[in-house]
Amino acid sequence: MSPLDPFVVEVIRHGLSAAAEEMSLVMTRSARSPLLREAGDLSSAITDAEGGLVGQGRDIPIHLGAMAYTVKELLKVRPASGMKEGDAIIYNVGALGGNHLNDVKIARPVFVEGRLIAFALSLAHWPDVGGTWPGSYLADAFDTFQEAMRIPPLTIADTNGLNRSVLDLILANVRDPVSCEGDLLAQLAATTAAERRIREMCAQYGTETFLATMGRLHDLSEAEMRAALADLPDGIYEGEDFLDDGGPGGAPARIHVRIEIRGDEATFDLSGSADRVANFCNTTPFIARSAVVYAARIMSGRDMQQNAGALRPVTIITRPGSIFEPGWNAAVAAGNHETSMRVVDAVFRAMEATIPERLSAGGPATAGLLAFAEPMPDQSWRMLYEVHGGGEGARHDRDGCPATRVHLTNTSNTPAEMIEANYAIRVEKQAIRRGSGGNGLHRGGDGVVRAYRVLAPSLWLTTCVERSVLPTYGLKGGGEGKPFAITLERDGQVTRLSGKANLLLKAGDLVTLEGCGGGGYGVAGG
Amino acid sequence: MERNDVQTREWDIGTDIGGTFTDIIAVRSGSDETRIAKVPSRADAPVQAMMEALTAVGLGPDDVRRFVHGTTRITNALVEERLPRVALVATAGFEDVLEIARYRRQELYRLDIPPKAPPLVPPSLCFGVVERLDHTGAVLTPLVDSEIERLVAWLRANAVQSVAICLLHSYANPAHEKRLAERLAGIVPHVCVSHEINPEAREYERASSTAFNAAAMPIAVEYLSELEEKLPIGAGLQVFHSAGAMVPVPAVKRRPLVMAMSGPAAGVSASARIARDLSRPRVLTFDMGGTTTDVCLIVDGAAEMTDTRMMGGRPLRQPMLAVHSIGAGGGSIVALGPGGLTVGPKSAGAVPGPACYGRGGTLPTITDANAILGYLDPEALLGDTIRIDVAAARAAVQPIADRLGLGLTETALGIVKVANATMARALRRVTVERGVDGRDCTLLAFGGGGPMHATGLADIYGLREIIVPAASSAFSALGCLTADFSFLQQRTVRMGLNGLSREIFAARVAELVAEARDPLIANGIPAAEITVEHVALMRYAAQSDSIPIGFAMPLDPVLLEADFHARHRQLFGYATSEDCVIEALRVKATKPSVTPFSRPDVGRPQVAGRSRACIFGPEGPVETRILPRETVCGITTGPAIIEDAWSTVVVPPGWQARPDELGNLFITRSAP
Repeated sequence: MSPLDPFVVEVIRHGLSAAAEEMSLVMTRSARSPLLREAGDLSSAITDAEGGLVGQGRDIPIHLGAMAYTVKELLKVRPASGMKEGDAIIYNVGALGGNHLNDVKIARPVFVEGRLIAFALSLAHWPDVGGTWPGSYLADAFDTFQEAMRIPPLTIADTNGLNRSVLDLILANVRDPVSCEGDLLAQLAATTAAERRIREMCAQYGTETFLATMGRLHDLSEAEMRAALADLPDGIYEGEDFLDDGGPGGAPARIHVRIEIRGDEATFDLSGSADRVANFCNTTPFIARSAVVYAARIMSGRDMQQNAGALRPVTIITRPGSIFEPGWNAAVAAGNHETSMRVVDAVFRAMEATIPERLSAGGPATAGLLAFAEPMPDQSWRMLYEVHGGGEGARHDRDGCPATRVHLTNTSNTPAEMIEANYAIRVEKQAIRRGSGGNGLHRGGDGVVRAYRVLAPSLWLTTCVERSVLPTYGLKGGGEGKPFAITLERDGQVTRLSGKANLLLKAGDLVTLEGCGGGGYGVAGG
Repeated sequence: MERNDVQTREWDIGTDIGGTFTDIIAVRSGSDETRIAKVPSRADAPVQAMMEALTAVGLGPDDVRRFVHGTTRITNALVEERLPRVALVATAGFEDVLEIARYRRQELYRLDIPPKAPPLVPPSLCFGVVERLDHTGAVLTPLVDSEIERLVAWLRANAVQSVAICLLHSYANPAHEKRLAERLAGIVPHVCVSHEINPEAREYERASSTAFNAAAMPIAVEYLSELEEKLPIGAGLQVFHSAGAMVPVPAVKRRPLVMAMSGPAAGVSASARIARDLSRPRVLTFDMGGTTTDVCLIVDGAAEMTDTRMMGGRPLRQPMLAVHSIGAGGGSIVALGPGGLTVGPKSAGAVPGPACYGRGGTLPTITDANAILGYLDPEALLGDTIRIDVAAARAAVQPIADRLGLGLTETALGIVKVANATMARALRRVTVERGVDGRDCTLLAFGGGGPMHATGLADIYGLREIIVPAASSAFSALGCLTADFSFLQQRTVRMGLNGLSREIFAARVAELVAEARDPLIANGIPAAEITVEHVALMRYAAQSDSIPIGFAMPLDPVLLEADFHARHRQLFGYATSEDCVIEALRVKATKPSVTPFSRPDVGRPQVAGRSRACIFGPEGPVETRILPRETVCGITTGPAIIEDAWSTVVVPPGWQARPDELGNLFITRSAP
């Protein structure tokens, strides 16, 4: 084959990113759930025919990292030979490159002239997927069956259109079937949009050139990652961080990483981390890898292209029986965004002495989730997912930013005016939590305060917040930020709520969330 | 005296102030006489630059009857943050709304840059007033006089030039905001209230827009007053607003935010006119200047609109032309990064400019690549001062060729290809958001670089027809003279279509119609000449983004619902039987233009019978005819370069150009 024109490679790379961005745009514009349309808890990607990621939207890093495996693992149980043009496959189980059951994936194989050449992959966080508790987060779930409905790979649509039986089965097992159907249709529409773009590119540049370009993009990313690793000093680096709880007797659970950098390759060994925990903070090896890939990208100090090739020089080891390989029946709802963040922090602690200028101090590395579920007169449920950031950790050259999201998450808050128009909740306050950032040469950013008055007769609340026991850390001698604090004021009594809890609220209750401040950097006045 | 004065004022002026050059076109009323000039822009003294442009066409202020311009004055101030001291007044407990924003960061994998822009108003200038409404507008906590006086005292102690008032749910009930504004009049020079600037839900976006407006007011008043002083022609002094039409200057002093997209508006407005005149149902505008490229979709002769755009990392929400601007223009710097070759967003700007301008620039730009390929006339003068230096362009691009291990011309071709891919992405953005297949569109290319890159862009994007309008190089300036007058108002109403009260609906529409028409009537336009368009922004009850659907009064709800379902299916591929909601109403009052849009006779003497070596592809240099634009007739088969005073139309091999009697050039692929 003739050598690839480097400029055509660049043009197709633009095209792949644009196609993934278009998918996310279709989703946010046409989805039903506020979690998708206001908070943007969704991601879009394009993979090659083997499932290797080649294009991604500007979405949520933890999703995008795991999506590098979502089609790969699917192909192990649903071989490509059985797929047909027009198929769309829906699934959420952890074993298939999954993260948690709320994140439902739709994969659409894209065919050109009868040949499978790519996949369009849409991931959306459904606000409810059934299970014990509305919202599908059960803090002390002892297995995943308590959490939510498990969806194995099912053909939700084919050339004849939507598969009504599959749709009905799914809608029969969620608490807000009307919104759910709209969200699902939006996901399908997103994958169709990407299919169209991929076919256009093949028509224009030739299918062979398109396929060769995807291969080249992997090679380019691999070369970039290798160059970045070669720039780091060889050696062994160890770091650890802790989940607030989940360890024996409710003690903090350890997340440990041993990084070995040798030449242009690196091994991240997470074997020293805690065993399977007794709550929903377990996770899947794909999430461990997703977190490592994010951290490696930050370590590189480069603005790299993310695709499957970047993974080649990186080996990631997890230990069976640990929090990262807890077995297929473990509860995993929170591990997706909490345990993964601890991996990033453990890597940062490991690299603090070597490349502090590339890192930031500890920040709101948590979903910061308050999920409110309201039972409606027609027996459906209305879900409000409130996700909260906090103060960013400081850096070597600047203070941390107040009220933002860091690392693996990037969801938005929901405007008070939208909450009040759609839910039986009044937002009584939303403010910066002044003075919550850590001291230092550069200060950590301040967190936020938001207070919710319950107007409905009852609301079902889930909290899922890390950094509410152990505060955010400073770097290079910087001070700690203030931890999260969630309180419930009922009948004049104020009680502190756990960061991982399910409880029933009643009319008049006031729930106040105070988000963590970021850690400082360097010694104040030093 | 006065009569005589009116008689001597017989010139209509349009100007387009770009980042690099200011174009001016002057038309003498009642005759064909047209004058045109291009002078360097002056960001530091925009009014002065306009007066210099006037001098350049041999006119003075006393000759001017009408003066129409699009201005980037407000946009630049807001983006570059040279802003006056502004205070924000919010509902107590929500003072930090601007600092909290929406949490989301712009860059996923960059810790080196701050995740979001700092608030437009610092925390020390945010004030909370005890009062509270709910989402229906019902008063939960009344606003008491002592609270107002507490605010007055605070404002007196904190000297600010301007104050933005944004109370929770004021879109549903403006009473509290109105009381505050009335009391503050005379205490603070400029007061603006969110229910006037942007009466729509979502407190952060509304507060941000209101704060933008408050910050722009002192600047706008100073700028527009200076202009009025220099050109005392009353309602003849007009400015483009963000929705793509003209308004008299006094109408925008209190709402300078409507000038945020004033800069590109004239070009888009002129394009819409051409799309109507030439009966092209789908047109993509391609306005490539020195520092940015603006693209916009025009469907059935009307430019598409949007509700929100980010400026300097902060949202600005109001109905605006859906112009997508990218930081890639002729002056964009080409760099070789880890991911490959990139163009922009860094620009060589007007100074030093591309290397080939010979003003001290050494970094390679898109224009330098074009110079290497032979597209630019090495003998012509740009803006009367700049002569193209091809050797300097080659020297600037050579290091990139060396690093790529490619030849110089191969690299220059590659740079143009990547630049075109960047712009194709912008075209895709404006078409997919509207559910339009871009390949069915006609590309309308203007601005300094548009006609040069149009065929390359058409190749990447699969477009079949390009139109380079007459006077393409002064197209935006010409657009100023031929645009409609209009004013727009939009408001959140949140009415379910199911069980809609037609009386209440009609009343809300009537209010908006009055708000949109009044600024025009107040400036002497007879009510009878004003037409009104109504648009409902509709969504399924559970969605949050709305789709604009036009309707006529009296309302036919069945038709409106059917139109919504059809449009949703077109955009997203499906429609459902869920309940529909009218989220907001938009009303546009227009006085249509009657000025004919025709070719101005502005030709400079061009030398015929020239040719030079140009490069279009890997086959290398091809001796190419250079044709003065006014001599082109019949079909010109590529390769050819068609030049007029300031712009270059590239017709590569495999393409052909054909003019119409108005001077528009139609460029299509040659029959194989």
